[in-house]
Amino acid sequence: MAPRDRDAFVEWVGRCVLPWENYVRGWLRRASVRAAEIDDIVQEAYSRIARLDDFHHISNPKAYFLEVTRNVLFEQLRRSQIIRIDTIAEMDGPIIPDESPDQERVLIGKDEIARLKRLIDGLPDRCRTMFVMRKVEGLSQRQIAERLGVSENTVETQVGRGLRLILGAWTNETNERHARKDNQQRSIARRKRD
Amino acid sequence: MKDMREKITSNEALLGVNAIEVLATEWVARLDRCEPDSRESAELEQWLAQDARHAGAFLRAQAMWKSLDRVQILHRPGGDSVPLAWYQTVSRRAMLRNAAIAGGAGLAAAAAAGIAFLRTGQNQIATPVGEIRRVPLLDGSLAAVNTDSELIIDFKSDLREVTLQKGEVWFDVAKDRKRPFVVTTGDVRVRAVGTAFSVRKREDGADVLVTEGVVETWSAGGESEKRLVMAGSRVFVSDIAGPSGVVPASAQIDRTLAWREGEIALDGETLTDAAAEFNRYNERKLTVDPSLTNERLVGWFHTNEPDTFARAAATVLKLKVTETAEEIHLAPDFVQGQ
Repeated sequence: MAPRDRDAFVEWVGRCVLPWENYVRGWLRRASVRAAEIDDIVQEAYSRIARLDDFHHISNPKAYFLEVTRNVLFEQLRRSQIIRIDTIAEMDGPIIPDESPDQERVLIGKDEIARLKRLIDGLPDRCRTMFVMRKVEGLSQRQIAERLGVSENTVETQVGRGLRLILGAWTNETNERHARKDNQQRSIARRKRD
Repeated sequence: MKDMREKITSNEALLGVNAIEVLATEWVARLDRCEPDSRESAELEQWLAQDARHAGAFLRAQAMWKSLDRVQILHRPGGDSVPLAWYQTVSRRAMLRNAAIAGGAGLAAAAAAGIAFLRTGQNQIATPVGEIRRVPLLDGSLAAVNTDSELIIDFKSDLREVTLQKGEVWFDVAKDRKRPFVVTTGDVRVRAVGTAFSVRKREDGADVLVTEGVVETWSAGGESEKRLVMAGSRVFVSDIAGPSGVVPASAQIDRTLAWREGEIALDGETLTDAAAEFNRYNERKLTVDPSLTNERLVGWFHTNEPDTFARAAATVLKLKVTETAEEIHLAPDFVQGQ
């Protein structure tokens, strides 16, 4: 992929794929895939998306992301000797979701900025200061180094670390949200049975 | 300094950050610093080619990095200073402190409830089928009592004695060297000082599983043949013959004790054994056609959801489920199976 195409591709992944990661992780959780395996499967799904030559033909990124993830999971299941039957139990029903991404995309757009801000807010002080300068004020790493009187290497290290913490929080936030939801559903299910 | 670094590392480990992600984010930060020269580009290409997962982690990191540009709209145009709100967020350390205080209050409340529960020296605890109960004991120990169990707790000044009449219990025993903690079930004896272990009564003895520390076990009359069982192992103690060989079982133990969270963990059990496990927790029994003895299964289920298990097994093994008020029966489905 030419550099300019790569930029557009990365922008598309950030805008259209990344926001559905929590949805995809939730689906894996409902399929009773364990947390450690979920991380591996999601990473593999991104690797397959990275191999795309072109993305313009993908009209429903949400369904596409889920489809890729499901293929990864199925291939793993087929390779394993003993069948995890609780996983199969959840896949019994229809899998590809609703086809109305437009409304959801609007909602996501509104939430998104607040969510990203929250992720930056959660960073350790030093990291956060540099992130704000870089992403909100739009300063370059060199300008940040000059203004704070630190080396460019320090800024680079902190930027990398901040991004890593944000990605970790992104994974965690989605996992926790789904854990809460699952618990609610579980207690509802129990109540019904009583 | 070293301590602090270790602390940071372990916090980051908690967030589930793996090694590939570390490298991927370092690459994004490096490319953001300045345009890569040909040597750096080659290095990046080489790293990406090394492992198929690298490209995925790199794409995800780049995409998140790019997404973060969108917060720029929070910056008032024309204003050249960063909005104050950015620097006034509650520090994470303060948030953690508050959370710890709230957690501490919860523990104190639980401890108070525990003391109210077991004020006198002797107590009986019984659970009906399907109930799993956690009971804090007067000495600070904790008992997790499994389905359909009965035990008597008798704390004296020199001995903490528990008699398991039926079922299964896991204990997290508070240290007290002057008062040994002894579990009696049938003729089986298990003694611990400060240890976590479980005892399950069987027809002719008991299974003992040690999760922490060491216990000593024997059967009545066989005091000369006491056996030590270490953390991560299990032993069957016969009423008559005493302890058999100790078996290392650390990988199994979490699974075997999943009942403490209300779960059944199957790892290659036969359909018949799995059904027996569910039947410990439910009045509505799972029954399995005798022709289905060889199928082995893996999975986690809730103890009170034999119906979910039955449907899952039916889907995988192409079986027919027949449900009545008293039972759920699994049999081969000749129509679907052929």
